[in-house]
Amino acid sequence: MPVISADLVVSQRSLEAEELTGQLLSGETLLSDTPDHVLEVVGVLESYGEVLDAYSKNLIYQGEQQFLNPFPLFKYLDGDLSPAKIWRHLNHDRINFEYAEYCMKAMLWHGTGGLDAYLDSEAFRENCNTIINCKRRRDPLLALLHPLFPGFLIEQIRNAATTHALGQFWRVMSDLFLDLAAAEADGRVRSIPAVVDFIKQGLVDAAGNPIHYGVEIAGQHFWVLPPEAGLTFLVDVAVPYVEAVFLRGMPFLGTVSFNAQAQQISPDQGRFTYGALYADPLPTMGAGIPPSLLMQDMYRHLPEPLHQWYLERTRGEGDVREKICRSFQKSMFCVTNAAINGTMPHPLSTTKPEEQAANRAYAAAWAERLALGRTDCLGR
Amino acid sequence: MGSALPLPLQLIWLIPVYGFSGMLLSLPWATGWVKRNGPRPAAYLNLLVTLLAVLHGSWVINTIYQIGPQHLDFPWFQSGDLNLRIGFDLSLTNLAALELVTTMSLVCQVYALGYLDKEWSLARFYALVGFFEGAMSGVVLSSNLFMSYFLLEMLTLSTYLLVGFWYAQPLVVTAARDAFLTKRVGDVLLLMGVVALSAFAGSMEFNDLYAWAADLKESAVLGPTAITLLGLGLIAGPMGKCAQFPMHLWLDEAMEGPNPASILRNSVVVTCGAIVLMKLMPIVQLSSLATDVLLAVGTISAIGGALVALAQVDLKRAFSYATTSYLGLVFIAIALQKPGLALLLLFAHGLARALQFMGVGSIIATSNCQDLTELGGIGTRMPATSLAFIIGSAGVVGLLPLGSFWCFGLLVNNFQQSDPWFAVVFLLTNLLSAVNVTRVYRSIFLGQPLPKTKRAPEVNWLMALPMVSLSVIVLLLPAIMQRLDPVPGIASFPLSVGLVVAASGAIGVLIGSLVPLNQFWSRSTTPWIRVIQDLLAYDFYTPEIYQRTVVSLVANLAQFTRWFDLNVIKGLADGVGRLSLATADGLKLSVSGQLQSYVLTVLLAIVLLLGVLQVGRGG
Amino acid sequence: MLLSSLLLIPFLGTAALLLWPGKPAPGQMRLITIVILVLQLLASLLVTLRFDPAQAGMQLQEFHVWLPGIGLDYALGVDGLSLPLVLINAALTLVSAVITRDIDKRPRIYFAMLVLISGAVNGAFLAENLLLFFLFYELELIPLWLLISVWGGANKAYAATKFLIFTAISGMLILGAFLGLALLTGSVDFSLTPVLSDRLAMGGQIVLLGALLVGFGIKIPLVPLHNWLPDAHTQASTPVSVLLAGVLLKLGTYGLLRFGLQLFPEAWAKLAPGLAIWAAISVLYGSLAAIAQTDMKRMVAFSSVGHMGYVLLAAAANTPVSLLGAVFQMVSHGLISALLFLLVGIVYRKTGTRDLKVLHGLLNPEKGLPLTGSMMIVAVMASAGLPGMAGFISEFLVFRGSIAQFPVATLLSMVGSGLTAVYFLLLVNRAFFGRLSITPSSDDPRNDARLDVQLAVVSPRETIPAMALVAGVVGLGLLPMSLSRLSDASLTAMALQAMGVS
Repeated sequence: MPVISADLVVSQRSLEAEELTGQLLSGETLLSDTPDHVLEVVGVLESYGEVLDAYSKNLIYQGEQQFLNPFPLFKYLDGDLSPAKIWRHLNHDRINFEYAEYCMKAMLWHGTGGLDAYLDSEAFRENCNTIINCKRRRDPLLALLHPLFPGFLIEQIRNAATTHALGQFWRVMSDLFLDLAAAEADGRVRSIPAVVDFIKQGLVDAAGNPIHYGVEIAGQHFWVLPPEAGLTFLVDVAVPYVEAVFLRGMPFLGTVSFNAQAQQISPDQGRFTYGALYADPLPTMGAGIPPSLLMQDMYRHLPEPLHQWYLERTRGEGDVREKICRSFQKSMFCVTNAAINGTMPHPLSTTKPEEQAANRAYAAAWAERLALGRTDCLGR
Repeated sequence: MGSALPLPLQLIWLIPVYGFSGMLLSLPWATGWVKRNGPRPAAYLNLLVTLLAVLHGSWVINTIYQIGPQHLDFPWFQSGDLNLRIGFDLSLTNLAALELVTTMSLVCQVYALGYLDKEWSLARFYALVGFFEGAMSGVVLSSNLFMSYFLLEMLTLSTYLLVGFWYAQPLVVTAARDAFLTKRVGDVLLLMGVVALSAFAGSMEFNDLYAWAADLKESAVLGPTAITLLGLGLIAGPMGKCAQFPMHLWLDEAMEGPNPASILRNSVVVTCGAIVLMKLMPIVQLSSLATDVLLAVGTISAIGGALVALAQVDLKRAFSYATTSYLGLVFIAIALQKPGLALLLLFAHGLARALQFMGVGSIIATSNCQDLTELGGIGTRMPATSLAFIIGSAGVVGLLPLGSFWCFGLLVNNFQQSDPWFAVVFLLTNLLSAVNVTRVYRSIFLGQPLPKTKRAPEVNWLMALPMVSLSVIVLLLPAIMQRLDPVPGIASFPLSVGLVVAASGAIGVLIGSLVPLNQFWSRSTTPWIRVIQDLLAYDFYTPEIYQRTVVSLVANLAQFTRWFDLNVIKGLADGVGRLSLATADGLKLSVSGQLQSYVLTVLLAIVLLLGVLQVGRGG
Repeated sequence: MLLSSLLLIPFLGTAALLLWPGKPAPGQMRLITIVILVLQLLASLLVTLRFDPAQAGMQLQEFHVWLPGIGLDYALGVDGLSLPLVLINAALTLVSAVITRDIDKRPRIYFAMLVLISGAVNGAFLAENLLLFFLFYELELIPLWLLISVWGGANKAYAATKFLIFTAISGMLILGAFLGLALLTGSVDFSLTPVLSDRLAMGGQIVLLGALLVGFGIKIPLVPLHNWLPDAHTQASTPVSVLLAGVLLKLGTYGLLRFGLQLFPEAWAKLAPGLAIWAAISVLYGSLAAIAQTDMKRMVAFSSVGHMGYVLLAAAANTPVSLLGAVFQMVSHGLISALLFLLVGIVYRKTGTRDLKVLHGLLNPEKGLPLTGSMMIVAVMASAGLPGMAGFISEFLVFRGSIAQFPVATLLSMVGSGLTAVYFLLLVNRAFFGRLSITPSSDDPRNDARLDVQLAVVSPRETIPAMALVAGVVGLGLLPMSLSRLSDASLTAMALQAMGVS
């Protein structure tokens, strides 16, 4: 006989902004500390780390080797044109680099933070002009197009710069997540607070890493993002990335109507809530849900213990990618948690009232945004 | 005769099969049977079979050039006087339409590879496009009404599935349904016509039907009412397919679907509908009322569609209504017995509109936005898109010497003496459409960049390449048209007519460039202007009119039937039940002992039977 | 002996199931049943192979005098009208057995009854003697009543009683008509010889035909005699619904053609215009009532009422093409409604509800029922008469064969065909599109949008029969000659004979 539908519907409590503020100020992790959560978060971040490794290599390859190539037919092959690789590519037996580009596009389109500001600067424009002048002499197509469409190439270079910067960002994150998996394997990390601390430490250590990007044209080196621009890992790339991908995101064609008359999408990008912390995992792998690509990539790199854990739950292999998505959302809350902790204006242990007030304001601002997100996945 | 034909002709039945086989080939990925690898092989396989269809089509065209038009058919179903066949009419015009369909399908499939690059359900999309293409290529070649109907309905189905592609999106839920039902109304009316023709005329071959229609004038087998109804039934199907008033609603709803499918829908699907109408016209024209309806519908769609397009703030809808408008012009041309010109206009419009929609898709992909009020200042940053948009628009408007200009010239020249009012309709539509493309161009490309267009890099090469290729085709279209219709040539109208057409376009462009942009969408403070603005922005309130008439009629009838069923029929049935149970009760049978009561009844019946029979034998 | 084997296999099978030694597990019972039904299917296919499609009359006949005193002979035969129905019966009973799951109550009786019904239905389709037909017609009632009243839903007693009363009345009317025939003609010739005015005056013919029409009209069912059907379907379990819609309703339409049209051709011709209007009313009523339903199964049940109306229209028109259409419609309705009930049953099993106000987004690829949903789209499109599937060619033949005879009734029926799309799209778009949810929306929309839904996976045991039915629906739609080849000669002869005498 059929089961009563209420048993088939699972719902967990969403958290209010005050609760989240309290957790952030008390140093408690947002995600509740359970052994299952540790397995999920570390496992998913391990597979994510492997995927990010591939994304990062490819984005850097695209930025350096496919710069202003009008027909980048082999841009996902990382320069390896062996028949076996081409066959795997044709058979779609590969990482979905389209998703990496999607994140890059989100960053470029939302345009927040230091990197974006630099892309609008006079110095950047001058660099571009030098590059374009050099490139035009060699490429008749560009020589023809540039005078007709003077905005075209500079916008493409902005695109390439964001691509490369995201590649550098993910390089760091990939190593961090794989280190985390190693730390968990040898017992250094055993709890969610330890996971958050590990990530926070990684972010803090890399915070000052310089971000720069140069290209070679006909043996000549040109800076697109020169070292003297002073762009750094945390504030100029990581923060805009979190803003664009974790928080704002872009509306999915599969769940939101773009019809202007229906007005489902806010005209103000700042109010977008389509990012990783807000997205509904249920439609994963459905039509018009770009993160499905990432879930597929992680599915192909799933560590065995986590895979086994998934097989024992709900539909087993049948809905494994949806479960990955849920775990991924949890782990992204951990990463956000780490980022907030790492950027807190003052140490949490401070006793000075004004510092405490500053911390409280900072935490409250975050909590207000997070409270709209899928806090029901945090398991409280 | 079959064996004497060259091989490509004998294998003509493969042409629709290419598309359908693309669908079947996609299934392993579309159903999720292939789990570890992504869905792209399905796309590549579809591209491959579509390429085969294009090549096969060109081969057939070459052969037909040499040996003249051919007709092939194969038996499908035969019973009594009913003979349904799969028939192909291989004339140059049909084959040109086939090339349009297959080439556009190929171009769109390449474009979709770029537009839907982050789409995990890619295989399902390609399966549907394959199905779509197969049905369309069959429709344009079909030599009989049955096959045309068969495939038109398949088109309706695939439209539904393509609009419903993003099935989880809230507006798609109703849009797909409404799109299907609106088309289905036309289809059912057309089916009535098809069934009636099949019963009365016998054969379903278009040529036999023409002969029958010619005879009908003398023989008067059917009364005038029947002929009028037949004519109205036959035009209803194409009206639905071509999104003509009042069945245009689906095209608006269909804009919820993926853009590559919108490209096909606005260019070739509507073309298929018009081609079927063209083939039906010799029968439709038996009824002067049906012809008048056709003219009225065409005129209302042409002018009304153009006006509604002007008031849209949605990028896709601004052009989908323009499609309705141009198909209205095609309807007028068909109704006025100018099928050749109608076909030229269909080609010119189909290609240019497709190009425009490709540009629209690029804008949406780059800006994540299709609201004209939030777009602007893209300027010179997107060369392929700008070119596609400008060339597509120029191809649609009769101003520069591209496809539509020559069509408008020929049409106006033809009608200026016989039907001057319709010549005016053509010019007015041209003017309004020029206003529309100009104002849309201004709001997308000119002015200061807005937040959503602050970063607007050109789209990836998989989208840019099809746009550039199609731009070249649109630029070359006048030459192709000249070759398709060499007598009397596309320029066979006086300079004065050409100037009038160009003037109507130029005035439109002028108005479109001078009117402040916000007047197209911000509601005016003057009450009467506001009323008109709202009327146009909400498509003459067609959805509400539907809601209040047809939908509420059916809903009320359904509710009444339900009420009647629950209260009258069920009440009666329960009454009978109680009566018989009471009888059983009277026979000292408990209510729970229904089986006993039943067995008793049967026994009683058998006893009765034996008794009666004995009596019968005795008597 | 070949036709008798179609009776022997299921009847001996029933006995075997009832007498099987020990206490076999339900799974074992199911396996035995499937073996029996596969044998029956093979025998039916063998009959098809032996059948000569070019020949019009009854074939493979068997005749034994049984009770000459009352005119009851054991006379079997098969022609182009009954053969497709025998095949449908064999196929759909097998489907029913395969999809049966979780029979915890008395599996032995359940499976025995399933097989018994199949045998009785075969007997009814093959009988060449009126009384023999009646015996088999009645024989199928009790097992079906048991299947509903023992293994049915919450309100099974009400539905089963209603079913029993209605069909008992149906049986009595049919028997009454047969007896009346004997009484009025004064002979106990219960063979299938047409009753013409030289044997019986028109008044008598019309009375008898009227009784048959109401009797079979209940079974088909036609409006307003349909009231038992939606209740029976909603309370019956999925396999029983498949059987009821796919096979048992066909007994009514078969009876109408065989014993109405063929036995009383003259009276039939007199009543035909009225019958055509009745058909149109039935079609429109069924479609409109279906639109207003929110229970998926009731919706499909009312759609059956509408779709069976086409068969009456075709029978009323009585042209070779329309009769072929009637057979096509019976077969395609059998396949399509079986598929629909099967799919609705899967949805019900997994979600515990069939309420269209509650179900949404079942196409969800990971957590929903995507394959079921895709097949549901095929099924509703087939039912709505979309080309390329069985429903279209059937409806086309019915309409094409009837429009010259009864244009108004035919056009009204076509409107009903258009309405089919309305309710089935309501069904598909409500239940399968959108975000997955299976509970009514609460007053907290934010929480509703976050509910996670855990549905069990659909097993191959359920999907494979559905896929087979989909293949049948599409196959018949693309290659209709495969069926018309069997039936064409018989039905043309039938229509000509009926037209000749009237």
